[in-house]
Amino acid sequence: MNYKINKLDSTRLLDIGGLVLSGGRPILAIILAFLVSAVMIIIQGANPLEAYSAMLRGSFGSVAALANTCVRAAPLLLGGLGVALGVKAGLLNVGIEGQIYVGGSAAAAVGIMPIPVAPWLHLVLAVSAGFLGGAIWGLIPAYLKAYRGVSEIVVTLMLNYVGIQLCSLLVHEPSPLAEKGAFFPQSPPILASAQLPILIKGTSLHLGIILGLIAAIILAYVLFYTPFGMRTKMIGQNPEAARYAGVNVKKQTVVALILSCGLGGLAGTGEVLGLKLRLFDYFSGGLGYDAIAVALMANSNPVGVIFSALFFGALRAGAGKMETAVGIKAPIVQVIQALAVLFVIMIGFVEYNRKSKQDKRKEQMPEDTIYGSELNK
Amino acid sequence: MDQSNDLSTLRMVGISKRFPGVLANDNIDFEVKAGQVHGILGENGAGKTTLMKILYGLHQPDSGEIFLNGKKVEIHSPKAAGDLGIGMVHQHFMLIENLTALENVVLGLPTKHPPLLDLEPARNRFNELTKEYDLHLTPSSPVWSLPVGDQQWLEILKLLFRNAKLLILDEPTAVLAPKQAKQLLSTVRRFAQEGRAIIFISHKLEEMKEVVDCVTVLRDGHVVGTVDPKEVQSAQLAQMMVGRDVFLDRRERAPYKDKKEVLVIEHLDCLNDRKLPALRKIDLTVKSGEIVGVAGVDGNGQRELAECITGLRQFTGGTIHINQKPVDGVINDTTLLGYIPEDRHKTGLVLKFTVEENLILKTFEELPYTKRGIIQWHEIRQKADALIKEYDIRTPNSMVPVNHLSGGNQQKVVVARELSNKPALLISSQPTRGLDLGAVESVHNFLLKERNRGAAVLFISTELSEVLTLSDRIIVMFNGEIMGDLNAEKVDVNLIGELMLGHREGLEATP
Ligand SMILES: Nc1ncnc2c1ncn2[C@@H]1O[C@H](COP(=O)(O)OP(=O)(O)OP(=O)(O)O)[C@@H](O)[C@H]1O
Ligand SMILES: [Mg+2]
Repeated sequence: MNYKINKLDSTRLLDIGGLVLSGGRPILAIILAFLVSAVMIIIQGANPLEAYSAMLRGSFGSVAALANTCVRAAPLLLGGLGVALGVKAGLLNVGIEGQIYVGGSAAAAVGIMPIPVAPWLHLVLAVSAGFLGGAIWGLIPAYLKAYRGVSEIVVTLMLNYVGIQLCSLLVHEPSPLAEKGAFFPQSPPILASAQLPILIKGTSLHLGIILGLIAAIILAYVLFYTPFGMRTKMIGQNPEAARYAGVNVKKQTVVALILSCGLGGLAGTGEVLGLKLRLFDYFSGGLGYDAIAVALMANSNPVGVIFSALFFGALRAGAGKMETAVGIKAPIVQVIQALAVLFVIMIGFVEYNRKSKQDKRKEQMPEDTIYGSELNK
Repeated sequence: MDQSNDLSTLRMVGISKRFPGVLANDNIDFEVKAGQVHGILGENGAGKTTLMKILYGLHQPDSGEIFLNGKKVEIHSPKAAGDLGIGMVHQHFMLIENLTALENVVLGLPTKHPPLLDLEPARNRFNELTKEYDLHLTPSSPVWSLPVGDQQWLEILKLLFRNAKLLILDEPTAVLAPKQAKQLLSTVRRFAQEGRAIIFISHKLEEMKEVVDCVTVLRDGHVVGTVDPKEVQSAQLAQMMVGRDVFLDRRERAPYKDKKEVLVIEHLDCLNDRKLPALRKIDLTVKSGEIVGVAGVDGNGQRELAECITGLRQFTGGTIHINQKPVDGVINDTTLLGYIPEDRHKTGLVLKFTVEENLILKTFEELPYTKRGIIQWHEIRQKADALIKEYDIRTPNSMVPVNHLSGGNQQKVVVARELSNKPALLISSQPTRGLDLGAVESVHNFLLKERNRGAAVLFISTELSEVLTLSDRIIVMFNGEIMGDLNAEKVDVNLIGELMLGHREGLEATP
């Protein structure tokens, strides 16, 4: 592929320019979130600077810390990409949590099975099972959305509860996936051949984060350089025009949502095959909801999702260190996280109002919604 | 609060506004007085809408000042403009489709007992106003179910509701049928008599002559001059506006020799969005090398007819064949069918996509734009640049979002895309809506060229004069039926007028 590099560059440059611009917003939001949280830390009688520096050490201060950050970022990255893909197609997949459980369960089912194949193939099969688990799970909202007009938001949200309970069912006896006579509801251990390899000895850093990075790059590429991506963005922006241009909107909706859910499944797969190494009851504990925040924060830009997932991962990784260093309880990071997302949205809002005053107002925006609806864009 | 009552003059002085790559307004001076209708003429992209948006507080000028009754004002938002008594009907509809007519009108107005919404007083006012101005609008009908003409009235009603003293009407007649336009023009005159000031933008010179007291002509962002349109020749106005002569009369054409039936429609029935019959047993054949004009008042089945042919609307009975192939779904073969839809914003364009993406909206999956599954952006860009040149689309480059283009130039993007693959059948619905005279001329030329190449062209327009100049055959639609099928070379305009109203009597009288 020897295209004229310079032409390609001009396109890419535009993209990067946009990214830098849109990158400014989350960074400002993060700073604001830390400032507000500092007040809370002070109220609790600790020094926020000390708290934050402990957090920084805990997330980036050593190889082990960095590994921890990446481990925690991995499911958020994969899940966040799932949400982002949906948003590009105009679909809000809030069911990553359920897909994590279903994908994780499918991966575990293959991972504990002694299949007589080469070890790498066993791993590939287990990972594929995880992706497919999420994707097939996604058929339900996809079908209902495309052919019955049911809101995907409601369906994916409700299916979360079903997915969580399904996993629970699977790890309790007499399910074939449950370990016989175990003290906890859990599956037998994932066989060594199906475990995600550890990248740095002595840490728990597994291949999951690399899977996430690859997925992000593929997704960014697919969205910009393939007809599939073009169709996806088209149905997200103007389904009527997409239909007119010959896109099969129903089919595209189904495929986009299925892939989005598959990414959710992969998020669970990484947790099971790389970190937990068994299937447990309630093993995700809300990662899927955080993934929505991750995508929101990155404005659904796949490359941006990498950074926002790392940020969220770092917060969690650093929380423990902060707790031991200054005695601030770890849940403060949830507060920071939530504030950061809120600030991103608020800044977007303020920016929009300012811009609309300055000039940038889009011609087709109804006049009366100027003060109202940047959010559902 | 209500300084609006005494708006007597509004002056814009030295207004300049630059967008990336274009100087949209270049040191413009402009003045309107109460009781006057002031027209603005200018090519697509001349900066008319930009100037009005500055006045309405949607854009801030880079330099220049606005004086209301001699007092300097800053207009930072549409709300500020509203408080000054300035109201605007935009070039593209700004209605919320799922709300009712009444809800759209009161949207954004303060209520008496917030947060409760008491629509009763508003409903009464709505009914009073519709009665006063003789509009036939039902407050409770949802906007999506209204014909475009009514939607336009609704936009104007919004301004009356707010008691605007300066009404900015940006191409209000572009979407109206001639009769509706007439009514609008007389209403505009009435507004002036009531002491309001009106800024009236249109590309149609006859309308200007009929309604405005003076007209300011813009070109490339600057004022060419302000004249009384009754005192100058149309040709002179066109000259001022486009910088050259424009020819919009019927052109000589040779009959096309190798005629084949391209579009064959038999007994077509279909329903409209409200599930009422829109077409009743339509039979129509369009041959290669002919332009069949569809005349008729808007909303008599023209849109549904176009949508059925293009496969976008399911029909309930009958058959449609294009080059012997039955239509049973959306046709995405751009060499078989080109379709210029009537609503470029809803259907024809993805507004947030760039110009180049919109230009290949239908063909991006084909060679050479996609090779081995990968989109070739440099090929697309080359194609886009060529089309931009060929169709004279005014844009800084092919990578700006299409919603940054002026309305007429957005239309050219659609026209360029639909003609570029030399379709066997071309359906064009209101293809010149919103275009300036020069651009109308070039679209006419493009359509004639398609015809002479051998394309079958179905040309739907509510602009009768345009149908008359362009067509080889004219069919007239009324209430979902074809009232008559006439030879355009020797047609009686009065007869068409009668047919458009559903009177068939004249037809038997002529041989
Ligand atoms: N928001 C925007 N961003 C960038 N460029 C813009 C924007 N709005 C308008 N322009 C550019 O400014 C110029 C003037 O546009 P404007 O909409 O005022 O034209 P117009 O005279 O109303 O044309 P038309 O008759 O086609 O409606 C055009 O070249 C257009 O591309
Ligand atoms: Mg305009």
